Amino acid sequence: MEYRFKNHDDILALNVESDGPASFHATIGEQRYAVVHRRISDCQILLTVDGRQVMAFVADTPEGKAVVVEGRTWLLEDAAASLARRRGARRDGPKQVSPPMPAVVTKLLVAEGDPVEKGQGVVVVSAMKMDTTLVAPFDGVVTRINVAEGDKVTPQQVLVDIAPAENEADASPA
Amino acid sequence: MMFGDTAFSGCEASDQLTTETTESTEKKIMFRKILVANRGEIALRIMRTCREMAIATVAVYSEADRRALHALEADEAIPIGPAEPAASYLNIERIIAAAHETGAEAIHPGYGFLAENAAFAERCQAEGIVFIGPPAGVIRDLGDKVVARRIMQKGGVPVIPGMTEEAADPAAWADQAEAVGYPVLIKAAAGGGGKGMRVVERPQDLVDACREASREAAAAFGSGAVYMEKFLARARHVEVQILADTRGNVIHLFERECSIQRRHQKIIEETPSPALTPALREAMGEAAVAAGRAAGYVNAGTVEFILEPEGKFYFLEVNTRLQVEHPITEMTTGVDLVRHQIEIAAGRPLTLSQADLAARGHAIECRIYAEDPEQNFFPSPGKIVFLHEPSGPGVRNDCGVYAGFEVPVDYDPILSKLVVHAETRDQAIRRMIRALESYAVLGVRTSIGFLIDVLASRPFADGETTTDFIPTHFADWKPGAGRRDLAVIAAAADAMAPRARAAINGAAVQAVHSGPFQTLGHWRL
Repeated sequence: MEYRFKNHDDILALNVESDGPASFHATIGEQRYAVVHRRISDCQILLTVDGRQVMAFVADTPEGKAVVVEGRTWLLEDAAASLARRRGARRDGPKQVSPPMPAVVTKLLVAEGDPVEKGQGVVVVSAMKMDTTLVAPFDGVVTRINVAEGDKVTPQQVLVDIAPAENEADASPA
Repeated sequence: MMFGDTAFSGCEASDQLTTETTESTEKKIMFRKILVANRGEIALRIMRTCREMAIATVAVYSEADRRALHALEADEAIPIGPAEPAASYLNIERIIAAAHETGAEAIHPGYGFLAENAAFAERCQAEGIVFIGPPAGVIRDLGDKVVARRIMQKGGVPVIPGMTEEAADPAAWADQAEAVGYPVLIKAAAGGGGKGMRVVERPQDLVDACREASREAAAAFGSGAVYMEKFLARARHVEVQILADTRGNVIHLFERECSIQRRHQKIIEETPSPALTPALREAMGEAAVAAGRAAGYVNAGTVEFILEPEGKFYFLEVNTRLQVEHPITEMTTGVDLVRHQIEIAAGRPLTLSQADLAARGHAIECRIYAEDPEQNFFPSPGKIVFLHEPSGPGVRNDCGVYAGFEVPVDYDPILSKLVVHAETRDQAIRRMIRALESYAVLGVRTSIGFLIDVLASRPFADGETTTDFIPTHFADWKPGAGRRDLAVIAAAADAMAPRARAAINGAAVQAVHSGPFQTLGHWRL
């Protein structure tokens, strides 16, 4: 049985051959692992991978499974579900310049008419006493700046309108 | 405000006390109740020492903190207003009212919020409440960077070459900058944290930089006053802990190195500093004591120095409060700094002399923030679904959150301070990595993965901890794919193995160790 997870822009495929209720062989890319698993609690699973025990912490969140292994966190979305979500909600989410949480605009880095590259800093917002720079989600041109320095903004707001450069808008989801 | 039979009003009263009381009575006089004017991990930490001293604790909490750990663990908890700090944790009226309502004889301000607010310290005194910290006048003097520099110069403490006269005329600035030597650093007189700060490499940029810095400073601190210092690149930030009582005794508790910073925020601190020789340590300790004396300091404070690669050091500023990173000093010296703060505030002489103090081993602290390292460390508030704290020998986690707690958006997103102590620096690094690897937080993103990589890096192991460490070595950090296969396997196993009950974001909460709801006896909101 195949599992496909999405971590940022990477698709991670895992082929599972079960050999018991609590054990399986997992193939990821070139690697094959022998896995035994045991649930310890709602958020804890003890894995034995090729003979070595590793405690994994897993919780479901709206964005997918949050997994912590040896101090590092991974957000793994179900690849099929993620595809459906992006097809259905083109204008929402990371494709626009919006703050992830209520914030205050501290600095505008571009002006109307400026060309921008994907990843280029567009506006700096401040929240929880930290400044962060929001970036252009794709190559394009700044068509409108909707806020001024000092404005309070929310996640629903588009702070800067950017018209995508040719061919960007038609790019199919990864 | 009375305790025992003596009216208590801060430092002045203590002198009257000692002339009238015997040794044994002196030992008995102590606050019966302290209000902690803060929140989160520091409020908890302070209350724990109070409890050990049999002092009743009063917590104050905003609406966002109704179920915060500090509000739950105190003997009494008083609501003080809406989430926004200005309306609650910075609300002097409400806090004073809470102290009167509960009969608290003293207030510990923690760090941040009102800790360095001279007006608050004065108000406490006027209300007959002891402010656990330095006198208001000292806070005021040292809070003005220009005044502080002058005090230090008078006290024989080395200061960075620069200019303290406030000059309105840009031409005067230009002359001074030439004298000091470019590059120069323009800084805000009224505050820090990187605001109102500009590095000027070229003379032609000086006027604009001053104007911008002044504007930023005015917005952040209410005062546009700026001053200039020589900019020291590749410098280390080394600070020295001091304690001073009301009798003029001042001691130092060695140094802390705070050079791993991101955007002027400290993230990793350690003691001892890898850059200090025993001679330098002694010299800086003495300079810190001199700084304390020059300022008439009382209670706990930290003297910050900037250390050049050649070994010259200069006064930077005094932080007139207990600092976030104080636990590393406590680990190596075995001293409870909060206990000493309380005793000094109660008018007692220091029970430690410089000769009594020694530092052993090595301690490191990592600040664990609810932030997303993959989104440029943007804050990541939300409900903590699961929390497994590290423990074991030499591990201390000052944690202000628990599984089930909703991390509010309104405050610094610090979850905990993870501190380790070991015999050597190398062992401390390994201990910290081990502790970080066993720290599991689900529900919010954290900087734990980033911290592991920093600590495991060669530059960190080599002690190359100058203030440009992160821009130099970790500017474009991305999590490595190292354990990704394990995570994917875990996700698949999780999907296969049914849970006892459904866990939708926040709906189910699980703790490995019992949370406060299981272990607390009596508490009230």
